[in-house]
Amino acid sequence: MLVLQAIIDGILVGGFYALMAGGLTLVFGVMEIVNFAQGIMVVLGAYLSYALFSHLSIDPFLSLVITMPGMFLIGVAVYWSMIKPIKQDRVIMSLLVMFAVGTIAEGILDLVFTSNLVQISTPYVNNSFTIGSLIFPDIYVYAFLMSVVLLAGVYYLLYRTRFGRSLRASMQNPTAARLVGINTDWVSAYTLGIGVAMAAAGGMVFGLTNSFDAASSYDLISRLLAIVIFGGFGSLSGALIASVLMLVIQDVVAVVWSPTWGQTTFYVILILILLVRPQGLLGRKAVRAQ
Amino acid sequence: MLTISGLFAGYGSGDVLRGVNLTVQDGSITCVVGPNGAGKSTLLKVVSGLLRPRVGSVTFRGAEIGGATPRKILECGIVQVMQSRNLFPELTVRENVELGGFLLRDASAVRARIATVTEQFPIVGERAGERAGQLSGGQQRMVEFARALMLDPALVVLDEPSMGLEPRAAAMMYDSIRQMRDNGRTILLVEQNVRVGLGLADHGVVMETGRVRLEGTGAEILANPQMRALYLGGTIEEGEVPAGDRGR
Repeated sequence: MLVLQAIIDGILVGGFYALMAGGLTLVFGVMEIVNFAQGIMVVLGAYLSYALFSHLSIDPFLSLVITMPGMFLIGVAVYWSMIKPIKQDRVIMSLLVMFAVGTIAEGILDLVFTSNLVQISTPYVNNSFTIGSLIFPDIYVYAFLMSVVLLAGVYYLLYRTRFGRSLRASMQNPTAARLVGINTDWVSAYTLGIGVAMAAAGGMVFGLTNSFDAASSYDLISRLLAIVIFGGFGSLSGALIASVLMLVIQDVVAVVWSPTWGQTTFYVILILILLVRPQGLLGRKAVRAQ
Repeated sequence: MLTISGLFAGYGSGDVLRGVNLTVQDGSITCVVGPNGAGKSTLLKVVSGLLRPRVGSVTFRGAEIGGATPRKILECGIVQVMQSRNLFPELTVRENVELGGFLLRDASAVRARIATVTEQFPIVGERAGERAGQLSGGQQRMVEFARALMLDPALVVLDEPSMGLEPRAAAMMYDSIRQMRDNGRTILLVEQNVRVGLGLADHGVVMETGRVRLEGTGAEILANPQMRALYLGGTIEEGEVPAGDRGR
């Protein structure tokens, strides 16, 4: 029963990790840059929800109505002001730019919120319900449902809209996309915006379930990168599967063996899988036209 | 229809095109040939807006289009099919062709254009639901052509369309180019198969080291002894261009 509980916990938590990692992999798919700032963007999302709850008593889930559009605009602004002007060595320079964005954001967050750990403490944060002997914490169930809704929205956007088609076209063949009239700059800007907005949602849940400060971004980005590498850079479905697998593996190993080995086991499995399948579970590197 | 004057363009600090002058007549097939590095593909990139000219002008129906975005150039009625890997391999054939009409806001107009291009390229209907990356090279070319015609362009720019095709597929592809011309479109073609390309063309152009060296009908150029020298590793001296040819 403990193993079943661990699996359920892993799936529920994996859902919101998929949101955060999904934003990272989407940005890589379109722009071929690794957004090293995604970790700090998650923390920024957590702080924004924390501030809105602490000062204006806005429920964290409701706060997403404000934080997601706001962070979408931040992503769009970062693209036009920092990524688009890069004329040479775009991929490498973009990495450095995003690293710089992360460092600057971390400094600002430290300045504004200090380096004391905080947590969003809503009245329902410790509530739970049971089914048989299985425990379902309310907050994880809400977060999972929210992740399902948001990821379904992203899938709808990708596969059922004109913008989604232009985004997928840009991912697969950016030059051909330009030749059919797609403005790949706007697609990139919106994609970075969507990626950062997804970090806002993930960050809100992260802030509800963890105490955090700006430095929490380092642990987050390493986990998110591991998920994205495991799932395959550029694959949203891969990120979803890898998130759930990572959390389930960690939780099950923690229960049957030791919590110390939970994360280590995941990384060992990650390395073994990459030896067999270097592009990750659903990576599409081989099919992209240059 | 398309006039290029004194065009310089290139990558980094170097010029690949060094003063290209060229005119493409309405309703004709103009074929550009030349050895590797002559600047043929670079020329097409400037025409389609993928590369900005440094000096010179590109006018289409009297309007300057040099330096315009690919989208703006599409709106003018010029569409380019690149040398290779034109399709979006993980999208279906239908989705690929629909994207050719990306600039059309009206869904019914897109459907009408798909019906039209499907008549000309039946593979679009036959393989509509399959991923484009699963088609053979020749089939992909037909889908690329169908996609290119979605906006009913006046000028179709083709960069080495026979590249990688087996002879039968290449023959079908050449038939399609003739058909496009017969339907009133103008074709600007860069072709590696010099004999076939010039044989197909109403007007031939030979480029070397970023300049136009010879111009004339396809037959005239094929008969020119300097062509043999060029393709055996020689060069065409400006002074050697016969008076009858319009070398630049």
